[in-house]
Amino acid sequence: MLNKKIIGILKRELKDKLFSKSFIFMTLLIPGIFVISIGIQALIHSSEDTDKHQIVIFSEVAGLEVHLQKSINTELKNDFQYVVDVREIQGTQFNKEFNSLKPLLLNNSISALIFIPQKAISDKRVSYYSKNPKNSQIHNRFSGIINQAIISFYFEGKNLSEKDIQFAKENVQYDELKVSEDSIVESGIGAEILSFIFGFLLYIGILFSGQMVLRAVVEEKNNRIVEILLSSVSSNELIIGKILGSTITSLAQMLIWLLPLIFVLSSSWYLLPPELIVSVSAWQWLYYFVNFLIGLVTYLGLFAAVGSIFDNEQDAQSGMWPLMMLVMIPFFIAISVPNNPNNSIAVTTSMIPFTSIMVMPVRMGLVDVPLHQFLISLTVNFITLILIFPISGKIYRIGILQTGKKPNFKEVLSWIKMKNL
Amino acid sequence: MSVLKIQNLSKNFGKIQAVKNINFTVSENSVFGLIGRNGAGKTTTIRMLMNIYLPDEGEILFKGEKIDSTFKDKVGYLPEERGLYKKMKVIDTLLFFAEIKGMVNQKVKKKAFEYLERFGLSDRANSKIEDLSKGNQQKIQFISTILHNPEFIILDEPFSGLDPINTDLLKDIMIEMKNEGKIIILSTHLMDYAEKLCDNIAMINEGEIILNGNLKEIKQDFGKGRIVLETDSDLDFLKTSRFVEKIEHFGNQFSIQLKNESEHQQFLLELLNNKVNIRKFAANEISLHEIFVQLAGNETNEVKNVK
Repeated sequence: MLNKKIIGILKRELKDKLFSKSFIFMTLLIPGIFVISIGIQALIHSSEDTDKHQIVIFSEVAGLEVHLQKSINTELKNDFQYVVDVREIQGTQFNKEFNSLKPLLLNNSISALIFIPQKAISDKRVSYYSKNPKNSQIHNRFSGIINQAIISFYFEGKNLSEKDIQFAKENVQYDELKVSEDSIVESGIGAEILSFIFGFLLYIGILFSGQMVLRAVVEEKNNRIVEILLSSVSSNELIIGKILGSTITSLAQMLIWLLPLIFVLSSSWYLLPPELIVSVSAWQWLYYFVNFLIGLVTYLGLFAAVGSIFDNEQDAQSGMWPLMMLVMIPFFIAISVPNNPNNSIAVTTSMIPFTSIMVMPVRMGLVDVPLHQFLISLTVNFITLILIFPISGKIYRIGILQTGKKPNFKEVLSWIKMKNL
Repeated sequence: MSVLKIQNLSKNFGKIQAVKNINFTVSENSVFGLIGRNGAGKTTTIRMLMNIYLPDEGEILFKGEKIDSTFKDKVGYLPEERGLYKKMKVIDTLLFFAEIKGMVNQKVKKKAFEYLERFGLSDRANSKIEDLSKGNQQKIQFISTILHNPEFIILDEPFSGLDPINTDLLKDIMIEMKNEGKIIILSTHLMDYAEKLCDNIAMINEGEIILNGNLKEIKQDFGKGRIVLETDSDLDFLKTSRFVEKIEHFGNQFSIQLKNESEHQQFLLELLNNKVNIRKFAANEISLHEIFVQLAGNETNEVKNVK
């Protein structure tokens, strides 16, 4: 299959892509963007709300105030974000108090007003007044504080030791354990991060090399280099050389991105915190790269075909949306998989054409995927490649020599049926 | 001797018949002119000659054998619209185009530098294409067309954008190659150049060959009874002349068709008797331009074969 001419084309492609400044730049930039975007997300998360909050708690329950105060003092010892004002009132006074504080609630001087009625002692229901009652941060913080105060109050004088009361106050905690064929390991955030990295890199890798191929094809068509190329090589040799060049470039890029990860995960030199430890076997790495390779060639063929239809970049950019859908939909499915990697959508899309290229590696990072599903996924993708590539090739062959009017979808379909070209 | 034989060639694109059953032969040591209006079918024909398109019908024989993909290595093609990789260096560009013709060795590099020298570009070997002027890019394109020493060269509008000095240089090289025994196909709609360079021509119109043969003979044939006259005198009296069939004029040059081709002496006498101030008088002459306008401008599709 590889003849001297393909090698000639391939050599130029590699010189142009792999050994270019932009390759080095992009290869370093992407992890940079990745780290920055995760950093920004973490920042938003941690500083979700650093504003001071004035909270007012009215208690109708006589004697609860002391417990509330104590509970607040322990829970908010080092937290200066909240200023809490606890008042014991008569039930009938509440409306009056509420009306006087209402303007302060409305102008955000007071973030929340909590009313603990008498019957809260038996049903633990309290009223939460705020302009923004869905603020989970304040919710979570104060439901714990109030619960502890009520528990202390409830068991007071019931002849229970401090230890017993403390036990009653404790919440249930989960130890998350990931069950797989050969082990039960503590599951951490590591698997989720890894699967996100998998999905993200596949998406970026395919999108970038695809765009690059598209631009190159449009350029060659636009400045008519393609006429000269085709007077020397056949269109098949040309597309094979080009896609091979981009595939090698993209695989090299992926390897550069993942090598540090493979190294860190497989060596014991680095002591990772336990929640970050993820085990990925050599087979899974191999699957990841083979899957990427198949996906790349499939998508690059399509990008080349779409590029060949248009003779300037603007038209090509606006005409490539169906193909962009084919890249983006799998990505969006893939990033939603961590919510539940074994639901039927995740399982199905990990084994159907196109989506499987991104969804399966993401699932692989999260759960133990049965071997037969891997095999189905690989087979499906390989068959897709075998079926799609000749069609891409045909569109490319005809497209690059077409000039003038921009062809419509129907015309492109008719090219596929053409013979003798 | 005819080396390239085009037989009953046809090509359709859907309902459009781009090339309809064309025949012509190209012989060694000659420049063959493929002329025709835009969209006449020249490019489709050329693409079939280079095996980019497969013909629907007919065949192309090179030295008696049907052309296949190996034929591409023997062809040098300069397309009408030029294209080079802008970011590539001059010398890399030349070597790349030679490489995909199957030529990879030091000899090619030496030859590339020789050509650069000849075109006065040896100091630009390591410049990027985009840093060259348009004319210089054109020269690089031409070098890349002939660097692999092709036997068969197709030049599509090779002179567009070149200054007179470079035009002459290119013409010299074309004649040189012709004398080396190469076959050159010159596709153009500039009749002046075709007239000066071509030995044989084929004229394509609407996918069909409407004229084919030796240029000199064609001109003789079409030039019978034609007078080219250059004057600033008033020629109104010729409208009633018994010798004249038709007068066309281009500025102060007139093209006159006589009713009887042997009467040009009598016609000259008539001009002198009417005190016409003659600056140039040429009998039995016609320019390729006029033939072209006459044939391609009309809807006559009769094939005029001149032996």
